Amino acid sequence: MSDMRNGVSPEPLLEVRRLTAGFDAGPVLFGIDLEVAPSELVALVGANGAGKSTLLGVLSGLVRATSGSISLAGEDVTNARPEVLVRKGVAHVPQGRRLFGTMSVEKNLLLGAYLRRDGEIRGDLVRVLDLFPALKDKLSREAGTLSGGEQQMVAIGRGLMARPKLLMVDELSLGLAPKVVDHLIEVIQQINREGTALILVEQDVLVALDAANRAYVLENGRVALSGKAADVKEDPGVRRAYLGL
Amino acid sequence: MADFVQLVVLGLLAGGVYVAVGIGFGLVWGVLNIVNLAHGALVIIGGYITWQLFSAFHIDPFLSLPVDAVALFVLGYTLQRGVINRIIRAPLLFTFLLTFGLNLVIINVLLLMFGSDFRSVTPSYSGQGLELGNVVVPYTRLASLGVAILTAAALAFVLNRTRIGLAINAISADRDAAQLVGIDLRHAYAMTYGLGAACAGVAGGLIAMIQAITPTAGEPYTLQAFVVVILGGLGRVSATVVGGLAFGLVEAFGQSIPGSGSVFANAIAFGLMVLVLVTRPQGLMGRLR
Repeated sequence: MSDMRNGVSPEPLLEVRRLTAGFDAGPVLFGIDLEVAPSELVALVGANGAGKSTLLGVLSGLVRATSGSISLAGEDVTNARPEVLVRKGVAHVPQGRRLFGTMSVEKNLLLGAYLRRDGEIRGDLVRVLDLFPALKDKLSREAGTLSGGEQQMVAIGRGLMARPKLLMVDELSLGLAPKVVDHLIEVIQQINREGTALILVEQDVLVALDAANRAYVLENGRVALSGKAADVKEDPGVRRAYLGL
Repeated sequence: MADFVQLVVLGLLAGGVYVAVGIGFGLVWGVLNIVNLAHGALVIIGGYITWQLFSAFHIDPFLSLPVDAVALFVLGYTLQRGVINRIIRAPLLFTFLLTFGLNLVIINVLLLMFGSDFRSVTPSYSGQGLELGNVVVPYTRLASLGVAILTAAALAFVLNRTRIGLAINAISADRDAAQLVGIDLRHAYAMTYGLGAACAGVAGGLIAMIQAITPTAGEPYTLQAFVVVILGGLGRVSATVVGGLAFGLVEAFGQSIPGSGSVFANAIAFGLMVLVLVTRPQGLMGRLR
């Protein structure tokens, strides 16, 4: 499939070059190239096991890259530690939410600001609650007792509390009702409009392609296709393989 | 009746030591998932520091407790950061072997430094006690119980009210998610082990006032800490406090049975542990996770 890269600004926020990574059992990613411009919303789609979550893991420092490079705002951050990447502005909302289940919603959100020492943490908490009003009267509830959609809100909110330049959300829609997904996508787009770059990883390809500016299709650990989300959506291969059209 | 009260008092007082020994062991187990077989050896290092300061500089043993805590914190932090962190993701058996090895290393270093002689700390007030009717409350043991409860309260405060405590709770709940909010795993692990070791150091200082110590005197305490944590339940300081006091009471009553000695008391205590494991595996105070 051809490269349809378009609309990438000359100075990307995130630049991934020939990235290879994997686990003891074997490599998962083979020579990934990927760019995200500041305030861009990029979809990362592909089948189960294509390497989407592993890629996010490498970008947030949980998984080591075996070769290739990652740079953030022009600075090399290949294999930087997770806490360093958080400090530099990368927030990763992991698959399955991964909340601190026995802690309160408020503690979960405040933990998102763990590395911050500025005086605006409370103000940001209010902003997160404005994005997700449903959480307002649930601040003292144990996070594990919330519904799936509310837990996803807490997970995204926890990511936002770090004031990221790049927010990566893994499997936003997994296990959630379509109405809830629509709402969360709207919020994601609002976050994006307010200046945060976003990588949206989705198995629900249509949801992701409709929301994003650009998209990358991952197949077996390689970028099979990339380009404007609207173009990717019209690609015959994508329509056949992922959209059932 | 007076005998009964005396037993309860003695049991609770003995329980103070078990609380002190148990809280650090329970913290390391609950957060790092390490059954720390070197815990008793760390305890005894604290005992030797208190003994050394007492015998060489006549420093009151209670005043040397903070020194024990700080010294053991530094040692524990260094051990975790430099050694144990390297195998933290390995199966439980590896941490067993490693901490067992550390235990032997510490014991042999202590043997080199202090020999195998019995050492005891005997301040002027060590034989005295408070007499309430027929019930005698030894001062050192009463103060030890107070110190143990204070240490537990301080640990609970650190875990529940401070930034590093929040980080420790977070890594305990979900290691990956904790990293994703920016918690430095290596530092948080080392802080956890350091805090556990600091509690062990305080326990050692208390133990040096109650019994004569040798380099190997810590080994029974590792075992007892294990029982205490299981009795109370893993994951909360207050549960370990209950477990420690319960263990002390059971032991005191076990020893009072005519014809039985400390061996029989231990058998009863371990029997109780098995009973708790079978009937209430989360411990007396624990929550199922």
